[in-house]
Amino acid sequence: MMQRLGARAGANRRQGPGPGPGGTSRSDLSPRDAWLLRWRGHSLLLPRRSLLGLAWLLLGLMMVFIASLSIGSMPLAPQRVIAALFGSGDPLDIYLVRELRLGRLGAALASGAGFALSGCLLQTLTRNRLAMPDIIGINNGATAFAVASIVALPMSFAPPMLALVGAVTATALTFALAGGVGVRGYRFIIVGVGIGAVFGALTNLMLARTSIDAANAAFPWTVGSLNGSGAGAQTMLWIGLAVCLPLAMASTRGLSSLRFAEPVALGWGVRVARLRLFALALAVICAALAVAVAGPVGMIALIGPELARRLSSHRSVPVLNAALAGAILMALADLLGRTLLAPVEVPVGIVTALVGGPYLIWILLRGDSPRAL
Amino acid sequence: MSAATGSVRFTRGLGFSLLALGVALCASLALGAGDVTPLQVLRWALGDDDGNVGFVVTELRLPRSCVGIVVGAALGVAGNLLQTVTRNPLAEPDLLGVSAASTTAVVIAILLGASVTTLQVWVAVLGAMCGCALVLAAARLRGVGDDPIRLILAGAALKGVLTALVSLVLLVDQRSADEIRFWTIGALAGRGYGELLGVAAPLLLGVLLVAYLSRPLAALALGERVASGLGHRPRLTRWLTLLAVALLSGVAVALAGPIAFFGLVVPVLARALVGPDIRRTLPLCVLLGPAVLLAADVVARLLVRPSELPLGVVTAVIGAPVLVAVVRAHRLPRL
Amino acid sequence: MLARPLGRFTAAILVPIMLLFTGQALAADGQSRTLDTAHGEIQVPADPQRVVTLYEAALDTTLAVGVEPLGAVATRGGTDVADYIADRAQGVAIVGGPREINLEEVLRQRPDLILASPFLADADYQRLSRIAPTVVPKHDAERPFGDDYWRKESELFADALGRHDRIEAVFEALDQRIERLRQQLSPEGDVRVTLMRWNPQGPIVMSDKVFAGDLLRRLGFVAPEIARTLTSRPHTDMLSLENLGRADGDWLLLATLNAEGRDALAAAQRQPAFQRLEAVRNGHVLTVDGQLWTSAAGPLAAERILDQVEEKMLGEPAADIAAQ
Repeated sequence: MMQRLGARAGANRRQGPGPGPGGTSRSDLSPRDAWLLRWRGHSLLLPRRSLLGLAWLLLGLMMVFIASLSIGSMPLAPQRVIAALFGSGDPLDIYLVRELRLGRLGAALASGAGFALSGCLLQTLTRNRLAMPDIIGINNGATAFAVASIVALPMSFAPPMLALVGAVTATALTFALAGGVGVRGYRFIIVGVGIGAVFGALTNLMLARTSIDAANAAFPWTVGSLNGSGAGAQTMLWIGLAVCLPLAMASTRGLSSLRFAEPVALGWGVRVARLRLFALALAVICAALAVAVAGPVGMIALIGPELARRLSSHRSVPVLNAALAGAILMALADLLGRTLLAPVEVPVGIVTALVGGPYLIWILLRGDSPRAL
Repeated sequence: MSAATGSVRFTRGLGFSLLALGVALCASLALGAGDVTPLQVLRWALGDDDGNVGFVVTELRLPRSCVGIVVGAALGVAGNLLQTVTRNPLAEPDLLGVSAASTTAVVIAILLGASVTTLQVWVAVLGAMCGCALVLAAARLRGVGDDPIRLILAGAALKGVLTALVSLVLLVDQRSADEIRFWTIGALAGRGYGELLGVAAPLLLGVLLVAYLSRPLAALALGERVASGLGHRPRLTRWLTLLAVALLSGVAVALAGPIAFFGLVVPVLARALVGPDIRRTLPLCVLLGPAVLLAADVVARLLVRPSELPLGVVTAVIGAPVLVAVVRAHRLPRL
Repeated sequence: MLARPLGRFTAAILVPIMLLFTGQALAADGQSRTLDTAHGEIQVPADPQRVVTLYEAALDTTLAVGVEPLGAVATRGGTDVADYIADRAQGVAIVGGPREINLEEVLRQRPDLILASPFLADADYQRLSRIAPTVVPKHDAERPFGDDYWRKESELFADALGRHDRIEAVFEALDQRIERLRQQLSPEGDVRVTLMRWNPQGPIVMSDKVFAGDLLRRLGFVAPEIARTLTSRPHTDMLSLENLGRADGDWLLLATLNAEGRDALAAAQRQPAFQRLEAVRNGHVLTVDGQLWTSAAGPLAAERILDQVEEKMLGEPAADIAAQ
């Protein structure tokens, strides 16, 4: 592990073309798998692997974008999709592409990015690849509130907004009860698991006591679905991503130090405690906003970052790639869910869990190097 | 602490637990969601025969209490075993996804048309075994001491996947949906001697295993070398413990469905009373488990009369503070 | 408006969101009529040809007034339309389940009229009303099951279909039949009938305001007090077994979504508290199809329920189980 100390340069790629902290010339240390850009005394080290991964992911994103807009109950040829996107062609096509499919695809991309970014940050924080927003109460809190708004409260409250309130409530409760983040956020996570279990029990209680109609109406909120996502929640999520993603990218250097023992990070001049709180806050915000759009979709936060790590330099925390991978996976899962059992739609949360489940079990059983982040 | 004060403490703990169980049992017989009051029950017990009171006590509350005793003891002991074998104060059948695995198995069995209680028990046990094997294989049995959170994360993630699997079952087969909706949260209502009879075989097997295991487990707590030196086989002990946990949690799920946090609360109480030695905490769990479960069940019956709360909701609300307390009480390097 | 490609891309994302709030339905031409719905006054085509129903009662009404819809949602607890109506709705495409509507399937039918449930989510209404005029019955949050609520819904749907006269005739015939049957069934009045669903942990009793309960009440039957006092909910919470006596009556109707209902009946019979009920001791327990009795509403469902009441409760009690 220690010989990776020189790797910190790899985390600098997002610092922009300015002298990075402690930015004396380190070109002699630059690893072979990176490109070094020099411009008027500024230098930028670009890890080749991460950039290639980024290119692959962007390509994948494009393909998923076209596929999601074309495939469905009414298949459209890609050229008709593009025409409809720009507002020409059959009004029905325009409606289908722009309002039904594009809105839904936007929700998928944004929420997938939010979940995966959140998972990436949590996993770095805890040095554990199993850490996910799904299990620390955020999802369950959101579900409980959204279900309550459907089965218990008057209809005037919009479920997405209440989901957001629930996610925040669960996090605040967890934070208060855990009395802080604790080393590696462990305490926060376990208390979160407990809070999540309480909210889960309350959700089950509401579902068991309500009429089957209301239980049906609440169903999308218990598994995660993109079918009825509200436009307001989606706008908020996009704004949240626009703020959180750059912030996370700007702090990758500090984040990558979290993967080593605390003295190492301190030795780098990283204010570890503050950084942990910051990363946790970003993770929670992303997950809460995403859950308000898509409901409690699981496993994206596990697979997205995992895929990103495979496509990125080992030396940095791949926040951007994780967000992209999450977005692609979510859109793919939704596409699968829409087409597999048509005309019945399988909610996206079920697809991700079924695809992610075996993968999770594989990680559990393989069991090697749990901390190899 | 010397052996003498230790045994005094044990006797005291035992006495307290017996008392608690007695009180809880009386409450469970005397209180309910219906109109039969404790006073009427007392009069009936003294021989003032009223058909209705007698019916409610002997046909409704007594069988339910018996089921509660079995479930409470099984879950308390299972929690204690899991915590000892993983050396993790948070290990608990529900948190680790063992109950969820068991429930999922039952749900799939219902879907496939099994409605015979005896079959469901073995399905539940089988599901619990798979859950146990998965989570503990993940924790590697050996190296668990060093990272307690890994086990919890693995369990929580497993639980998430299994919940989604149940959701898919409900999506595919909506006819079962209405029934299964009530299986995903634990409760004692409507259970009786018939169900108890159905679980007798796995329960007996589990009890025998636990009786055999208490000594090797106590030795194991001293470290592997000591245990080997004393003639125990650590590996075998661990696998047998897992089998016992699977049998006991399977029985509990088959009887009452998943009951959150219960396996966490009871061993914590037992350790607080008599210290960490498993030979002392096990008997205490056998007594305290039913006491706590019956108390929770009485609360579940009284809160929303004339209907009832599911037991799983009450235990989740009781258990969460205990979880928080355990997490906060442990020194930070471990958690 | 926005010439650069990047701007176009942004527009492609933002425009639909804005359009959601300002849009006009895709299919709105020719003659139209005005209808008062939960979302205000809307224009519907004078003679709708392509109807999609997203609600069990809407499907029932549509078929009852002689219109064949193009699409419908699957019934609660099933993957197709309800059994009682299946043979009349054979050409109907399934456009979603009771939990989620498949908007693309709805669009594919190119409907000119959509009939939806009063519980339709606002976000769904916004999208559906852009496809075609969407009729959502008004819904009183305080008293969702007020007097004749299901008849009013049916009348609204029939109005939307331009078949006001047909539904009047249908309801008149129904009322006459109810009156005849009432005199045959309970000449002295006060026959107590409980409609319940049996769940593993205890029964729930259906309100006598909700569709089937409403019919039973009109037939002169009296529901138990716990069902009569429900105002805003379709059924009680799960009753504690200790309080099962409160659900007793002269007749017990056990509804199950599983059409055979044997399992639920067997589960109930295992409970000693169930065996003590007066209706059980007298052998007056009937199992009924929950798809019809607890999920459906509308004139066709009403006729079927009256058929079953006539068949099973009139004359010699032909109980499903004998007294033990």
